Amino acid sequence: MRPGDCGIGLRAPHVAEVLEHRPVVGWLEVHAENYMGGGTAIRTLERVRAEYPLSVHGVGLSIGSAEGIDTAHLERLARLVERLQPVLVSEHLSWSVTGGAYLNHLLPLPYTDEALAVIADNVARAQDRLGCRLLVENPSGYLRFRGSSMSEPEFLNALARRTGCGLLCDVNNVYVTCANLGGDPAAWLDALDRAAVAEIHLAGHAVNNADGRSILIDDHGSPVADPVWELFAHALGRFGPVPTLIEWDTDLPALGVLLGEAAKARAYVSKAADVVAA
Amino acid sequence: MSSLRELQAGFRAALLDEAEARVVSEIIDDGLGASARLAVYRHHVFTSLTDALGTTYPVVCRLVDRRFFGWLADRYVRAHPPASPCLFEYGGELAAFLAAFPACAHLPWLADVARLEWAINGAQHAPGATPLLADIWRSLDADGLAALTVQVDRSVTLLESPWPVDAIWRANQAGADGAVDLVAGAVRLEVRRIDDDIVLRALPAGSFALRAALAAGRTLQEAVDRALLAEPALNLAREIRALLDDGMLVLPG
Repeated sequence: MRPGDCGIGLRAPHVAEVLEHRPVVGWLEVHAENYMGGGTAIRTLERVRAEYPLSVHGVGLSIGSAEGIDTAHLERLARLVERLQPVLVSEHLSWSVTGGAYLNHLLPLPYTDEALAVIADNVARAQDRLGCRLLVENPSGYLRFRGSSMSEPEFLNALARRTGCGLLCDVNNVYVTCANLGGDPAAWLDALDRAAVAEIHLAGHAVNNADGRSILIDDHGSPVADPVWELFAHALGRFGPVPTLIEWDTDLPALGVLLGEAAKARAYVSKAADVVAA
Repeated sequence: MSSLRELQAGFRAALLDEAEARVVSEIIDDGLGASARLAVYRHHVFTSLTDALGTTYPVVCRLVDRRFFGWLADRYVRAHPPASPCLFEYGGELAAFLAAFPACAHLPWLADVARLEWAINGAQHAPGATPLLADIWRSLDADGLAALTVQVDRSVTLLESPWPVDAIWRANQAGADGAVDLVAGAVRLEVRRIDDDIVLRALPAGSFALRAALAAGRTLQEAVDRALLAEPALNLAREIRALLDDGMLVLPG
């Protein structure tokens, strides 16, 4: 995989078509937790892996959990990584497990020294077991905690410094978070440590109404919005060509629609490279 | 400010039990109130887990209709939140939950349909294994044979119901007309994955007892005793041969 290659999130309904038609796309990313069973899904994915660079994107390790990460789940992730030999492995700046219950969402953290110590320990443990660098993604935000003493980019930069982890910059999440919580998304990107960014995510969001106010929801259910493409151009200007992924989960369209979005992302990367060359 | 551990426990209470008091004071209340902000997270937790349950239990969902299923899934999630992020493993207590759920008391077969769907789900995700075929069996000498440990293919579930749950399940697949003769009576089913296909088949009492006992980890002697109790005229030689021919026994690992 080359730095500016653009890929798509591979979802179960598209797997057979990808294997049959072998579409031209830079790389593919899958959600780790969907492939931790022993059935046909993982064996089919191994055939995909033989044809494309693959990224493993975890959604359930809960690296922000105060009670620590679940050893059994880390083991399952490690076995999957050993089996698939992915080019990238990523997780989220969030938590979802407390008291042994898994709340299926990327829940928000207060950006405090205490939370930084917790998540840094968890990331270090995960990287030790996985034997590779973990990329940590900024989540979409719907609330802020009073106790936060750092901004989100400051917290991510500190985590990367402390653990050596990389950052996965989800540009749509930056846009959604800044719209919901206040803030300038371009300034958010400018505050992120450029050397740590190793992957970019793009996706669509929904605009909902909550108590008479609009709130953006990161539902991955539509094409990337125009202002997010503009923000992506800004991100490329700052981070350079970074492997970029189109995510789509809700109301999944035909594979061709995702490939079209990836081609559009690729055009932005080329344009950014031209600007740098000129 | 509370510790991170307390904050996360409070967040859980706010999402699952609507007990927001502990966490609301920690959330910045600008423009949109803390409750409305928490509701965004709660909505996603419940809709995504309801979807996960609907994926594992499509026939139960169809039988009670989608809206009612959403309501019962909401109750189920509060009582049994997932213990693992692998959502294909979520929902193992749904059959027991339905059996004790007063709003479903008029559907006495529903819990057994859920047991069947859980067995199908388990078969889909079970690890593959090497079948203990007759030639492996034959290649062993007496010591090797004595030391051999076998287990039943982990994709297998043996399931008994007083209701024709296999017919109910088939009648509610895409393209079927939904008509079932509920008085068709009890079934003894074997559910398993063979290659990439899920196979459901009804077994006679003796075969069922033999296989159920082996799947439960009983010795061959105990399994044979139970099979003969269930069906005194059982042809044991044929049954044991069928175990091998069906690839039911696998090497542990």
